Amino acid sequence: MADKITIGIADMKMAKGEGMLVTYALGSCIGICLHDPSLKLGALVHIMLPLNMETGRKNPMKYADTGIKETLKQMEAKGASRSRITAKIAGGAMMFKDGSGSLGNIGQRNIESVKLNLKKEGVRLLKEDVGGTVARTLLFDVNSGLACIRSYGRQELII
Amino acid sequence: MSIKNYDELNSLELDTLREIGSVGTGNAATALSQMLGRQVRITLPEVRIMGYNEAIEWIGGPEEITAGVLVKLSGHVNGIMLSVQPLEFVNIVLESMMGKTVGSYDQLTEMEHSALVEVGNIMISTFINALSGLAGMDVNLTVPAFTVDMQGAILAVPMAEYGGQSDYIMTIGGNFVSENKQVPCRLLMSPDLRSLNALLRKLGVSDG
Repeated sequence: MADKITIGIADMKMAKGEGMLVTYALGSCIGICLHDPSLKLGALVHIMLPLNMETGRKNPMKYADTGIKETLKQMEAKGASRSRITAKIAGGAMMFKDGSGSLGNIGQRNIESVKLNLKKEGVRLLKEDVGGTVARTLLFDVNSGLACIRSYGRQELII
Repeated sequence: MSIKNYDELNSLELDTLREIGSVGTGNAATALSQMLGRQVRITLPEVRIMGYNEAIEWIGGPEEITAGVLVKLSGHVNGIMLSVQPLEFVNIVLESMMGKTVGSYDQLTEMEHSALVEVGNIMISTFINALSGLAGMDVNLTVPAFTVDMQGAILAVPMAEYGGQSDYIMTIGGNFVSENKQVPCRLLMSPDLRSLNALLRKLGVSDG
């Protein structure tokens, strides 16, 4: 079993060759696994919101747009090639179904923004497990590029 | 002066918020006492300002399964209130109301779900009644929403809601104790920054 590396909320970590990147309890947040298979370089970003409109922009990994951009930059600095990088995503659930809809649907907006920004950056989205109403824990093996998703009351899923 | 971030609160402002927490959870404890038919008190009221990941550790880890009742606040105060109900608390409620306990959340019947929502809703409403009385502010509450899932994802709901404003989450709440035993139920209020400023002004501790 490879070493586990934990990624918090609004956080990103990378591993090369060997390593299991893990982020826990994605609700409306999205975990984005980015992988360069020929280098076996993987990154996992845990974003919380769709668009960075903050002044100062202290924390790029909190947002889908700046999180994806910054992670790709850091992967390329380690020798990754944009044309080889692929993505797998999980999360974007709606944790509370409230009839009034007053909470909006941050999960759905996150899904749309992540997909749009991956497309804009020219990264192919291979697999996804998004939406619904369950929280997800995401484990990403940088060696194989496989991701495992754990949820409450649902079978484990490998993507 | 209006604050732009939760960590700019001074000690007088924090004391005031702690007082709101104390009165709010005190009222909620009284309501809970009546529902359970036994004495419930609160221990020290808490105001916490935490980074996201710190908050998840504080509540007991991301993956722990728990029930959550969520109510959104609007009107003079915008924010989210959560009643986080671990299984031990669920069983205290079920035992005193229905004379039974469950081994896991998936054994809960529709009726028992409703009971938990109602307990959460009543505790939240009494908390907010106390707050709105203290500050003379009108607060509207949404119909409560309910879920059973990983507590990290439940706590992330107020974080995401106000994440565009701050890298911190502020919670006002307290712990409940009955017959010298901890009643493991958390009542958390997360106001947005603008409402927090308005609240502090109304209570006379901020001159902005």
